[in-house]
Amino acid sequence: MLNRRNVLAAFAAAAIGLQGIGMGAAPAAAQDMVDASLRLKWLTQAQFAGFYVALEKGYYKEEGINLTINPGGPNLLTENLVATGADTFGLSGGTDSVFAARDKGMPIVCIGVSHQVTPFVFVSHKDGPVQTVADFKGKKITTWFTGANHVLSAMLSKVGVDPKEADIQPQQVSVTPFVDRQVDVVTATRYNELYVINQRVGKDKLDLFVPEDSGVSFPRDTLIVSEQTAAEKPELIEKFLRASVKGWKDAFANEKEAIDIIMKISPTLDRAQQEFMLTEVKTLMTAGKASTDGLFTIDKTAVGSANDLLAQYGVISKPVDLDAAFNASFIDTIPAEERRL
Amino acid sequence: MTGVSTSAATLPVASTGRVHAAVKPVLWLALGLLAIEVLVMALEIRPYYLPRPSAIAANIMATPGAYLAGLWRTFLETALGFVAGSLFGVLMAVIFHRWVTLRELFFPLFVVSQTIPVIAFGAVVVLWFGNTLFAKAVISFYISFLPVTVNTLLGFSSVDPRQVQLMRSFGANDVQILRRLYLPAALPQLFVALKLASSLALVGAIVGEWFGDTTGLGVLLLQAMYNENVVGIWATIVVSACLGMGLYSLVSLAERKIVFWGGEQ
Amino acid sequence: MSAYMQSDSARQIGRGLAGALLVAAIWELSARGLNLPAYVLPSVTSILGGLVNDAASLAKAARYTAAESFAGYVIGCLVGMAAAVLVTMIPAARSVVLPLATAINSVPVVAYSPLVLLWFGMGMASKIVMVAVAVSFTIFLSTIAGLDRVDRKSVDLIRSFGAGRLAVLWRLRLPTALPLIIAGMRVSTVRSVIVAIVTEMLGAYDGLGWIIYQAVLQIDFVKVWAAIIVASSISLTFFGAISFIERRYVFWR
Repeated sequence: MLNRRNVLAAFAAAAIGLQGIGMGAAPAAAQDMVDASLRLKWLTQAQFAGFYVALEKGYYKEEGINLTINPGGPNLLTENLVATGADTFGLSGGTDSVFAARDKGMPIVCIGVSHQVTPFVFVSHKDGPVQTVADFKGKKITTWFTGANHVLSAMLSKVGVDPKEADIQPQQVSVTPFVDRQVDVVTATRYNELYVINQRVGKDKLDLFVPEDSGVSFPRDTLIVSEQTAAEKPELIEKFLRASVKGWKDAFANEKEAIDIIMKISPTLDRAQQEFMLTEVKTLMTAGKASTDGLFTIDKTAVGSANDLLAQYGVISKPVDLDAAFNASFIDTIPAEERRL
Repeated sequence: MTGVSTSAATLPVASTGRVHAAVKPVLWLALGLLAIEVLVMALEIRPYYLPRPSAIAANIMATPGAYLAGLWRTFLETALGFVAGSLFGVLMAVIFHRWVTLRELFFPLFVVSQTIPVIAFGAVVVLWFGNTLFAKAVISFYISFLPVTVNTLLGFSSVDPRQVQLMRSFGANDVQILRRLYLPAALPQLFVALKLASSLALVGAIVGEWFGDTTGLGVLLLQAMYNENVVGIWATIVVSACLGMGLYSLVSLAERKIVFWGGEQ
Repeated sequence: MSAYMQSDSARQIGRGLAGALLVAAIWELSARGLNLPAYVLPSVTSILGGLVNDAASLAKAARYTAAESFAGYVIGCLVGMAAAVLVTMIPAARSVVLPLATAINSVPVVAYSPLVLLWFGMGMASKIVMVAVAVSFTIFLSTIAGLDRVDRKSVDLIRSFGAGRLAVLWRLRLPTALPLIIAGMRVSTVRSVIVAIVTEMLGAYDGLGWIIYQAVLQIDFVKVWAAIIVASSISLTFFGAISFIERRYVFWR
């Protein structure tokens, strides 16, 4: 392994050298610009439109931040990259991944919550065997084993069904098994899978089961920084948030323009699907406490319930210290009226 | 080195023929595509299982810029990784050939390193090499150098020791013997490995793009896959195939020029 | 590649082990000495600890992945060889099939994985298909290369004794091609395990790739490395087994 690493290190040195040359050639920007990067949880799509709008319109530049947006991938963990300093900011999985990371001792802090309510729902065929949550018993259900499975367990427990009595399988990539009725209940994010299922099954042929209806909430898409950044560069965080909020407000005010920006970066995306995504994301981002307190509000009650849920199911060894994991002081520097749509 | 000699011989080789030999398969390919087109229409196969070739072509033509940009980016990563991997591969072969102890100490580890799926290390790669084109090239490099080392060593072993002695008796030094004797002798085997390395380097670049990127064929592939856009997947496969064949032909072309020239010396 | 496996002398084996130990020691020292967090590089000892802790789930996943790789491998070898023999028997097919196979082979196998997952689902079938595809092309190309090694004069000679095409194939071509075929089979072993794992990472119900995928999401890097060590051991065992068969039964030098 040593060999490999040495060689790789040599390469890194070469790469840095070459980058240096590239930078030298670029026009020298304003001296007081700070370089920073934002790592997304997935590839470029409308789910992240606000950040791209802010970047495109130069809102980060206005705040003195030279921001690079790095997309995510199937085997990347945003928390990891932010904790190690590879990226300054991260839009990570959600409260679930923040808690898991804190539980493993990763020095990251959440500075804002994007999706205020659970962004996923459980879907069944209207004419199928599952009509209520109680019907999940003994049926084949697929879900993600990264947090959604615990939401499901909690929903089942509330109606007196032991999660072990349902055939719960991991879900990946495709919703085809559900469309082909090999699976009775599928998990779908409102902004992504649900679109595909609507397209292929028909919107009115589906039953949706919403976690909030069972009193379970799981806010997701969390903005994170490392503890070091939080301690040493609070102004950078505030500036980043200010620009991001501005970008998101623009994105929701002019959705066509936002989609244009996304489509310019990823022209192979399906425009209709992206439009649907942005609309859904708007609902998620302005739901709950965000309707009064504005975008990226940290709703400690909702976050706390997710914390208890994960501790109850043994995903995290004990409830995480909420105030250390979620720091609302940065987002609170922006007045609520500026953050409301 | 018995093992080396056997494994190197296995690397897939296909004699790429002259121009007229290349035209025939193209005709057959066109005919085949037409047949698929007709079949898909006649049997009403859902695009989900197999889209019509014309639909795939239309998909590429709808956003040619995206595919071209992806192609170019992936090509750069592949080329960089491939060139670095080939040079490093030959260098390691020279070192391992010269110092047997080093070879016995580390060669097995080189083999072990190739059994590790790089995809498992997304975060580590980004951590060490950032989010640059070079990070992808590093992965290309990592999975393409070993066949080159193996085959170059094999080529070296085919040199007649008496020739080495003869050159030494004329006062040739190590470098001269390497340049005049060993390297030319290793060329045919080396090119077999380079052909394989070119396709491995492409795999490395595509997988490397799964570690978070905005452009590249790997990104297009992921995006199409997770949006269940089957036509998009096919379109990306076609573009990747063109790139793969292009690289393969380039190496074959170089082989014909260089090995022929080397043979004349 | 097989210098490792075929080294007869104890010295070679000893040095190989020494190299491995040396690297492990440096790894351990740098992980501990620099106090690296597990998400950067866990120490060798903690990985070994993880291997013991998760032994049960890793063993189950290893069996799953090994089964997929092996099944795909066997199918791939058979299909590859059969196709090569067919193409050799029907020379007209050759000029069409060979360039096409080269073209298809130049597409990275990972590019097919989304399609195969959509077609064959998340279960074992999709991994077996992927491995079979990856292996069959390698075997096909090396078998063709092997079958071609027979020189014309030998074929003419055996024909002059009245041997038919099948006899030429069975008596002459296949024995000559055997070393190349089996060497291709040896290289394919490592590839089959990696392809199975990569496909599992994109969608599966079990297996080492699935464990790696889940462990990354659960921020358990010791487990990631432990699973990788298990995967590596499977590849090496598989590789060693084929090398052994090769040395034992193929005398061609």
